[in-house]
Amino acid sequence: MKSVKRFLHHLFIPQETNNYRAKALHLDFLTYYLIFVLFLTFGFKILSSKSADVLGFATDITIEKLYQLTNAARQENQLSNLNYNQQLALAAQKKASDMFTNNYWSHYGPNGTTPWDFILSSGYRYEFAGENLAKNFLFSQGVIDAWLNSPSHKENILRKDYTEVGFAVENGVLNGEETTIVVEMFGKPLASAIAKEVPVFNQPEIRTNTVEAKSVAPTEIPIIQPQPVILAQKTSSQNKNFGRLSVNSSLIFLAFLILTFIMDFYFASKLRIIRISGKNLAHLIFVGFIFLGLIFLTKGSIL
Amino acid sequence: MNHFVLQLKKELKKGLFDYLLLLTAGILFLLSLNLFKGERLLEFIILFIFTSFYVIWGIYHHIIEDSLHLKTVIEYILIAFTLMFLLKLIILPS
Repeated sequence: MKSVKRFLHHLFIPQETNNYRAKALHLDFLTYYLIFVLFLTFGFKILSSKSADVLGFATDITIEKLYQLTNAARQENQLSNLNYNQQLALAAQKKASDMFTNNYWSHYGPNGTTPWDFILSSGYRYEFAGENLAKNFLFSQGVIDAWLNSPSHKENILRKDYTEVGFAVENGVLNGEETTIVVEMFGKPLASAIAKEVPVFNQPEIRTNTVEAKSVAPTEIPIIQPQPVILAQKTSSQNKNFGRLSVNSSLIFLAFLILTFIMDFYFASKLRIIRISGKNLAHLIFVGFIFLGLIFLTKGSIL
Repeated sequence: MNHFVLQLKKELKKGLFDYLLLLTAGILFLLSLNLFKGERLLEFIILFIFTSFYVIWGIYHHIIEDSLHLKTVIEYILIAFTLMFLLKLIILPS
């Protein structure tokens, strides 16, 4: 016990044994930190190049969580839950793949494709439909929070006309950059009596991320059956774990550094030690900004 | 605790301009990250600029204080680039 205490003192408190500078801040220790981080960086790079599909992206976004958070937001606003629809999920997946294939980040494709083209091609006949997009977020909560903070996206999530939803979380390269895109497609199927053939649409009313078609709906047998709630997603668990792991380990390391700088600064000022070293106050400010930057980096952009 | 606060005040008073400069750069760093959120490459460039600025700031600060030493420069480089690579793991994981 005594040796542990002595070791911790040696590590954090400036004293004679560590040349009056916390050992954890000595140049050899700082070099070990850098080597360790470089090892993680390049180790990860090598791993991802060997199994690109497994470790290439580090996000913790899951369809299950997105669906759960969307319905939680609706419940808070006294709205009914949305049912998960596989056709909308397929449409969302097609949209995400199209954005990667044609290299664009927009509700409308460069060749004029619209969100409802994907919905219709998936076999979903809608009365109302809408789309929310997000990219480069690290966590599902961040995606939903960003949408809820944007009036137009919030309107989509909380629109009482919608009864169904589908999600896609796709990884790919967009503008030469590895990107995780989240597509959320909302819809309300045409009323029970609709035709099997593709309905003739009037010009849909388009809003930023909402399409609403007032279709001419001939009366015939219904084709839309209630869809089972299927929430399976082929997202590698290693991806999810790595995303959370890298953020958590970064936070722990930053907290360790902050604590070490504070302790070293406190005891050095208490013992009135004069030494040649960097300024702990400056280091603290720098680490503080990096800490805040890390929080900012968990957020991506929405459309 | 008194020594700590006194030392802190003394340090800030001695290099007020330098610390204001560092704070301004930090705020600009956060604003830029917020402005370009989701643009991973730009975020990494912003991070690289901020870490490089920190090393230059450290050298400048110690030149002004007449306490520049190779050990000190290495310390700033090690801290700055360790944290840069740590955040790179999140921005550009592969």
